[in-house]
Amino acid sequence: MTGMTAQMTFLAFFGAAAVWFGIVVFRTHSMVRSAIALLFSQTAVGVMFLLMQAEFLGVLQIMMMATEMSVMAIFMVMFMMDPGGMGAMEMTHQKRLSLWAGGIGLVGALAVIWLADWGPPVPVIPGAAEQAADLGRELLGRSMFIFQSAGLTILTAMVAATMVAIVPNEGREG
Amino acid sequence: MSSVIVLLSLVAGSYFIAVLESWLTHGRFSLTRPAISALALLGREAVTARTPDRLFFETAPVLLLVVGLLGAAVIPLAPGLIITDLATGALFLNAALAYVLVALIMAGWGPNGAYAMIGGWRFLGQFIAYAMLIVMPITAVAMRAESLSTTVIVASQEALWNAAYQPIGFVLFVVAAMGLAWLPPLDLPNAPGDLAGGIEAEYSGARLAVLRLARMVIILVMAGATVTFYLGGWLGPWLPPVVWSAIKVLAVTAAMLSAGRLVPRVREARYLAVSWKLGISLALTNIFLVGVIALVVPI
Repeated sequence: MTGMTAQMTFLAFFGAAAVWFGIVVFRTHSMVRSAIALLFSQTAVGVMFLLMQAEFLGVLQIMMMATEMSVMAIFMVMFMMDPGGMGAMEMTHQKRLSLWAGGIGLVGALAVIWLADWGPPVPVIPGAAEQAADLGRELLGRSMFIFQSAGLTILTAMVAATMVAIVPNEGREG
Repeated sequence: MSSVIVLLSLVAGSYFIAVLESWLTHGRFSLTRPAISALALLGREAVTARTPDRLFFETAPVLLLVVGLLGAAVIPLAPGLIITDLATGALFLNAALAYVLVALIMAGWGPNGAYAMIGGWRFLGQFIAYAMLIVMPITAVAMRAESLSTTVIVASQEALWNAAYQPIGFVLFVVAAMGLAWLPPLDLPNAPGDLAGGIEAEYSGARLAVLRLARMVIILVMAGATVTFYLGGWLGPWLPPVVWSAIKVLAVTAAMLSAGRLVPRVREARYLAVSWKLGISLALTNIFLVGVIALVVPI
C-alpha cells in the first residue's frame, strides 16, 4: 500500500512539474530557456511513464526529447531577432485564437478521457523486457504499415526541406 | 553495496584519466598533479561573466555530472556488480548521454560569452554527426544479445567478443564515443588553442572543477560502454571479473586519449559529412550483416 502511495505521490509531482515547465515555456522571455523548459516538461512526462512501469516508453521519451528540443533551440536562436530575451520578448502570439484552440483541445481531451471505454486495469503488469518484446512484435505486426508510412512521410519531408534550404552552389564543401 | 563500489571505481577511474591526460598533454607524469589542480580550482575565486543566464550557468556543470553518473548506473563491472540492471539498459545509457548535449548547450549559452556560445552550438553540430553512430551500432549489439540489458549483452559475448563479431560497429562506436566525450580530434566544443576554452572559457573555480570532473566521468562511461558492448565486459580467464573490467576500461580509456593526439582536429562540417555519408551507410550495413549472421550461424 505504501508503495502505491509513493508511486501516486511521485506521479502527481512529475505531472505538476510537466505542467509547470509547460507554463514556463510561455512565461520566459528567452528563446533558449523556452526550449529547455519544453524539454524538461517532456522529460517529466517520460518520468511519469517510468513511474507507471512503462520502462521502454519512458526511456525512449526522455532520450528523444533531449535531441529534438536542442535542435529546435538552435533554429529558434538562428531565426529570432532576440533569442536571449534581452528586450523582454513576448512568447505568446494570436492570443484569442490560441486561447480558443487550447480550450477546445482541453475539452476534447477531457471528453476522450471520460467517454472512452478504457477496459479494466491490466491484472498483471508484464516485466520491462517483455514489454519491449511486445512492443517490437506490435511494431512489426499489425502496426507496421502505419509506422512505415509515417516514417516515409517524415523522410520525404526531411529531404524536401533540405532541398529547399540548401543553396545551389557547386564546389562548396559541407 | 555495489553502488558504493561502482562509485568508488568511478572516482579512482576519473583520477586515472586526469593523470593520463595531463601526462599526454604536458608530457610530465605526476600522480599528485590532478589533486593539486583540483584543490587549486576549489580554492580559487569563481568569476562570473556579466549578465549571465544564471540558471543555465549554475545548472550545466551539475547536470553534466548527473548525466555521467546516470550513464555509469547501467554499466556492469562484474556479475551483480551494477547499480541498476535495467531491462532497457542500453537504451537508458543512450537517453542519459543525450543530456550531455543539453548540459553543454546550457554551459555554452549560460555565461553570455561568444567563445562559450560557439563551443556549445558546435557541440550541437557534433551531436548531429555522432548521435546516429552511437544508436545504430548499439542496435546491432542488442540484436545479437536479443536484449537491451547490459548484463545480458555481456553474457552474449561468451563465445566471441562483439569487437570480432561486428568489427564495423565497433569502430563506428568507438569514434562516436570519442565525439560524445569531446576527445581530440573531435574536441570542437572546447577546442584548446582555437576557442580559448570554448564552453570552459567563462567557468572558473569550483564550477570549472565540477565541469572537468563530469567530463572525466563521461569519458570513463564511454570506455565502460565500449567494453560492455564490444569487449566482453567482465569476461576473461584466470583473473576475477572485476579486475578484467578494470583492465579493459582503463586500456580503452588510454587508447581513446592517446589516439586523438596523433591526428589533427576535425572540422565540424567535415565530421558531419563523413558521419552521415559514410558512417550511417556502414552502420546500416553492420545491422544487416549482424542480422544475417545471427540468423545463419548461432554463435
